[in-house]
Amino acid sequence: MSSSSVKTTLRYLFSILIVCVFIFPIAWFALTSIKPISAVFNKDRVVVFDFEPTFENYQVTVFGGKRSDTAAGQNMGMGTSGTGAYDGRSSIASSLIIAISSTILATAISLLAAYALSRLRFRGSQGFMHWILSQRFLPPIAIIIPLVFIFRDLGLRDTHLGIIIAHTLINIPLALLILKSFFDDVPIEVDQAAMIDGATRFQCFYLVVLPMIKGGVAATAVLCFIFSWTEFLLSLFLTSSIRTIPVKITTFVTSTGSEWGYISALGTAAIIPGFIFILLVQNHLVRGLTMGAVKE
Amino acid sequence: MASVNISQLNKKYGAVRVLHDLDLQVADGRFVVLLGPSGCGKSTLLRMIAGLESITSGDVLFDDTRVNDVHAKDRNIAMVFQNYALYAHMSVRKNMAFSMRLKRVDKKTIDEKVTWAASILGLEPYLDRLPRELSGGQRQRVAMGRAIVRDPDVFLFDEPLSNLDAKLRVQMRTEIKELHQRLKTTTIYVTHDQIEAMTMADDVVIMRDGYIEQAGSPMEVYDKPNNLFVAQFIGSPGMNIIECQVAVKNGVYYATRDELFLPLPAQAPVEDGQALLYGVRPEHMVPGVQSAGSGDSRASGVVRVVEPTGPEVHVYAKMAGQDVCAISRERLAWEPGETIYFQPDTNHVHLFNKETGAAL
Ligand SMILES: Nc1ncnc2c1ncn2[C@@H]1O[C@H](COP(=O)(O)OP(=O)(O)O)[C@@H](O)[C@H]1O
Ligand SMILES: [Mg+2]
Repeated sequence: MSSSSVKTTLRYLFSILIVCVFIFPIAWFALTSIKPISAVFNKDRVVVFDFEPTFENYQVTVFGGKRSDTAAGQNMGMGTSGTGAYDGRSSIASSLIIAISSTILATAISLLAAYALSRLRFRGSQGFMHWILSQRFLPPIAIIIPLVFIFRDLGLRDTHLGIIIAHTLINIPLALLILKSFFDDVPIEVDQAAMIDGATRFQCFYLVVLPMIKGGVAATAVLCFIFSWTEFLLSLFLTSSIRTIPVKITTFVTSTGSEWGYISALGTAAIIPGFIFILLVQNHLVRGLTMGAVKE
Repeated sequence: MASVNISQLNKKYGAVRVLHDLDLQVADGRFVVLLGPSGCGKSTLLRMIAGLESITSGDVLFDDTRVNDVHAKDRNIAMVFQNYALYAHMSVRKNMAFSMRLKRVDKKTIDEKVTWAASILGLEPYLDRLPRELSGGQRQRVAMGRAIVRDPDVFLFDEPLSNLDAKLRVQMRTEIKELHQRLKTTTIYVTHDQIEAMTMADDVVIMRDGYIEQAGSPMEVYDKPNNLFVAQFIGSPGMNIIECQVAVKNGVYYATRDELFLPLPAQAPVEDGQALLYGVRPEHMVPGVQSAGSGDSRASGVVRVVEPTGPEVHVYAKMAGQDVCAISRERLAWEPGETIYFQPDTNHVHLFNKETGAAL
């Protein structure tokens, strides 16, 4: 074995090790979601694979099914929460509504703003970028109390619209920054060529530059979606009856014990959309898009 | 088609003035090249004509219409950029059709136009490719195709060939010139390459630091440079410039430096003792092995390098401490270190004021 192939092998082994470290908790979490309670709570040994897989946790949390007697048996006499308390369907619906709406809003607003900031020279445009960025300096928890009061007074507390607005506002600075860098990658001569070809400013944006960065837009939208989908703190404070998935999952930790099966089932199910979106846009996260528009 | 008239044009970026009271007339159908070193304001001038840059003061007229306040999209011009600025997500066909689609031209006319442009530019096999699937020269042609389908009043080119390799550049140069002869559209072409300017232009406009130094036909600016800058900028290898002092010997004026006695043209406007710059192009520095006996003129140097180029030989020599170059069509063999004699052709000697650089 030559020294370079040893090196390659070591490199692979090391990469696999790192991947394992990151994958293990997720894999364990996903595995837990299909274990029967007896396997989750085995006092004698750690059950890894030798169990009868069950989809009941999914049936209850994702599809609103009835919890069976065996599962109920485990919790017998522990607390009063009925099966309905573990039904995640309305949470999934709320999370979808909120994440999709706030993603569309944040992306659309940021697109227009980023195009303007990338293309137009106006007084204070530099300062404006800094100001936008500064909106991310404060951790949300620092402003959560006043925000709750403001939202209450505006009648936005515990409404979908309220969280949509909150998530949109939090997402805009980052989306704006990312989109501006994508726009900056498209040479300004492209706009000017389009303008000379007879395009209005909006046509330049809509027909020429936007399609050239559509992969970047998709990637930005995915980041916004994942942020909103996983956001916990604002959703917790700004709602009481609407429960997004992350908030809902915390309610599975009750005074009478933690429902590990339900927690892991709803949690695993919630990973799926983000995972798919990332797979779809991962190529666009690499900036290869403006290639061919200009000299190599 | 249109003529372009520029009068008293100024451009300031903040407090920095980059164009100074420019006046320029481009007659209908002419091919005018703006030539100058990088940063002299060529692109700025071109972009002001295009309507992409605001005008600080002065006027731009197309024929007799003042277009200062006309938006770029309404000026009916076409422009080819240095980086081509193609629409990366559109096929070659769509790139060329874009302007017509915006004008809602009917599909049949669009197809005809695109086919016509593609056939002129040899792009037919590539119509359905994306720009990234084309070579540099092909992209360049797409940019030109996008321009010619529009029947513009004025063509503007901003260093369109500078991203191509040398061979392709020469080929495209010919193609652009041919295209102009065919379409006869008024063209303003920016370059920093004097050979491009000389070979393509009807008129060359030489710029420096935001001023126009000289405008005229390529041969005019080559043969009669207004000043030292133009003389040195045009021509390759460049004009030999020798710092001299006028002296009289046997009743004849010479430009002298150390032991050099360079012949002056008859009726040269000089006086005894005057300091001047003596300019002569390499091809007028006729080299010989022995001093040609013309009066008392003596111009000898020491050969440094000999470069045969094929049709001619370039001889670089040191003459009274100054580097000079001579071009000979004779295949004479000089050795480095050898003494060489020159016979400057007095019909082609250029004299410049030592302080101002203005031609005498
Ligand atoms: N947007 C700008 N802001 C400030 N100065 C500029 C700007 N664009 C060009 N300039 C200056 O104007 C001068 C002329 O530039 P340009 O027309 O691009 O030169 P050229 O095309 O001849 O190389 C340069 O000194 C350049 O630094
Ligand atoms: Mg330029």
